[in-house]
Amino acid sequence: MGTPDASTSEQSDLSTSVMAPTTEKKHRGLLQEIWHNFKKNRLSLAGGIIVMIAVALAVFAPVLSPHDPVKQFRDPPGQHSPLPPLSRSEEGALFLLGSDKFGRDILSRALYGCRTLLQLATGSITIALALGLLMGGVAGYRKGSWVDELIMRVVDVMLSFPTLVLAIALVGAFGIGKTDIGPITLSNMYKIAIVIAITYSPAFARVMRGVVLQEMAEDYVDAAKMSGGAGWQILTGEIFVNTIPPMIVQASLNMATTVLTSASLSFLGLGLQPPRPSLGIMLNEARDYLFGGAWWYPLVPGFFILLIILGFNLLGDGLRDSLDPRQARRTQL
Amino acid sequence: MAVYLLKRLLLAVPTLFGASIIIFLLIHIAPGDPVRVMLGPMDDPALRAKIVHQLGLDLPLHEQYLRWLGKAVQGDFGISVTIQRGSPVLELLAQRYSVTLELAFLSTIIALLIAVPAGITSALRQNRLSDHIARIVAMVGVSVPNFFLGIMLILIIGVSLHQPWATGGFVPLSKGLSENLIRMLLPAIALGTAYSAIIMRMLRSSMLDIMSQDYVRTARAMGIGWRSIVRQDIVKNALIPVTTVMGNSIGYLLGGSIITETIFRLPGMGRLIIIGVDRRDYPVIQGVVLSIVLIRIIVNLSVDILYSVIDPRIRYGAEGE
Repeated sequence: MGTPDASTSEQSDLSTSVMAPTTEKKHRGLLQEIWHNFKKNRLSLAGGIIVMIAVALAVFAPVLSPHDPVKQFRDPPGQHSPLPPLSRSEEGALFLLGSDKFGRDILSRALYGCRTLLQLATGSITIALALGLLMGGVAGYRKGSWVDELIMRVVDVMLSFPTLVLAIALVGAFGIGKTDIGPITLSNMYKIAIVIAITYSPAFARVMRGVVLQEMAEDYVDAAKMSGGAGWQILTGEIFVNTIPPMIVQASLNMATTVLTSASLSFLGLGLQPPRPSLGIMLNEARDYLFGGAWWYPLVPGFFILLIILGFNLLGDGLRDSLDPRQARRTQL
Repeated sequence: MAVYLLKRLLLAVPTLFGASIIIFLLIHIAPGDPVRVMLGPMDDPALRAKIVHQLGLDLPLHEQYLRWLGKAVQGDFGISVTIQRGSPVLELLAQRYSVTLELAFLSTIIALLIAVPAGITSALRQNRLSDHIARIVAMVGVSVPNFFLGIMLILIIGVSLHQPWATGGFVPLSKGLSENLIRMLLPAIALGTAYSAIIMRMLRSSMLDIMSQDYVRTARAMGIGWRSIVRQDIVKNALIPVTTVMGNSIGYLLGGSIITETIFRLPGMGRLIIIGVDRRDYPVIQGVVLSIVLIRIIVNLSVDILYSVIDPRIRYGAEGE
């Protein structure tokens, strides 16, 4: 009596156990697929950890900083700022990693500098992503139309400028510092974020267009069209959701260069303005004190910038390899 | 071949045209009166009228653009307003480009000197210790900002080791080649390091790609020595994509030289644009940006054409479209 039951249940067990991995694999989304490949790569995991540390330093900068980053301490008698690591101000404040030319604590300024740098880079990349989604989305959805042609021409033109050069030119047009556009006053930080975003948006637009074209070939778009959905509804409702994972990957691939561009602008005196703590400005200021032997002055901010960029580069490399397993097999350490 | 060449040329023209519109508009994007912005406290009616006339700001926008473009095509990039009032921008560019192009050239040589041996060794010894080390060093090399590297070079060689040539500053070629070159050494290293890492990574991956191809296996099976395969086939073929990457990197070199010139106090076009932005000298900013975009488009075009000469498949592919 029980035998046939048992055999069917055994059979069904067998079939599920055989079927399970394939269905699981089939249903694994792009992000899960990437994560699966990604965690095998030790170097990119290291990159992820570095990025997490940098983000933690930035988020907890107010807690971790030993001093107020803009407070100017008095020099002890007979000594002049910048003071070397482990020295003390007249008030007795300890400078763990030294002080800068105004007697401010370098460690505190560097931690806050990480914070502003990451804020700026994340803000820029978010705006660039939004612009790119819009431009690439419309171009892809209206493929072959004059809108597509126009948007992609503009993208081509913008890509003919080296990123840093375009950013410098835009800062040159708007001027350094805050900008008034009609009734709106744009703070310097927002202005720079927008400038950097403009320079990175064409690359996103190009990727987005490709992704949209790929999605448009899928059956679900035809189904939505046949069930009478309006064009913009299909684009915003159906296609858009599916473009998010590849675009997020694209954004993280661009983080390292965005951080570099942000820091470069500040270093050139065209980005963030003093007294705001910025790693780029600290490095620029340090140039005047090199011959006094103030080695800690450039070393601390430079090391932080290097670490952040290295982290994002390792992370990005890992992501890129996870997207292209053929490449991954070759480059894995 | 001629068809392909013409096609590539025709594609470059609208891009350059579009870029010229953006560059022209730079002066008008900023809210407010550009002349007041440029002159600042020096603003006086006589000077203002002269500059408005010089820049053609009294004309309608499209006429301004056509006038500006027409002059630019003839090599007239306008007149500097605040940096060196009255000097033609083209003259300023000509003085400064010699420094920037020398820097870019020397950086490329240094990058190749590091990248080619490192890339070849790394590919041939894939996944051995020397490969791991080379790749980690390359990763750090890509990640180190050139302004940090430049400052550390000055600090270590110039300050700690007391080498006067390593402290920045420029000696023109006319004052002696060796003096000029030694001053350019550190700037070229600062700019060339990240560049070498880019080239090395590309060379390594394209060599690995070729090494896994059938014809390499066939050649080995035929008993041809490995060394001669590496020299004759692998390295030669791997250098083709590397050339493209190098051509595309001209933007990196020109952008990077802006920073390198700032650190080492070199009077190149990078310094010029920074001073231009600082003093709001719009014609100078426009001239520098236009020249950079022009150089970039020309170099990319040349690389594309060169590439199609080396590798005919590309040409036929494009013509078949």
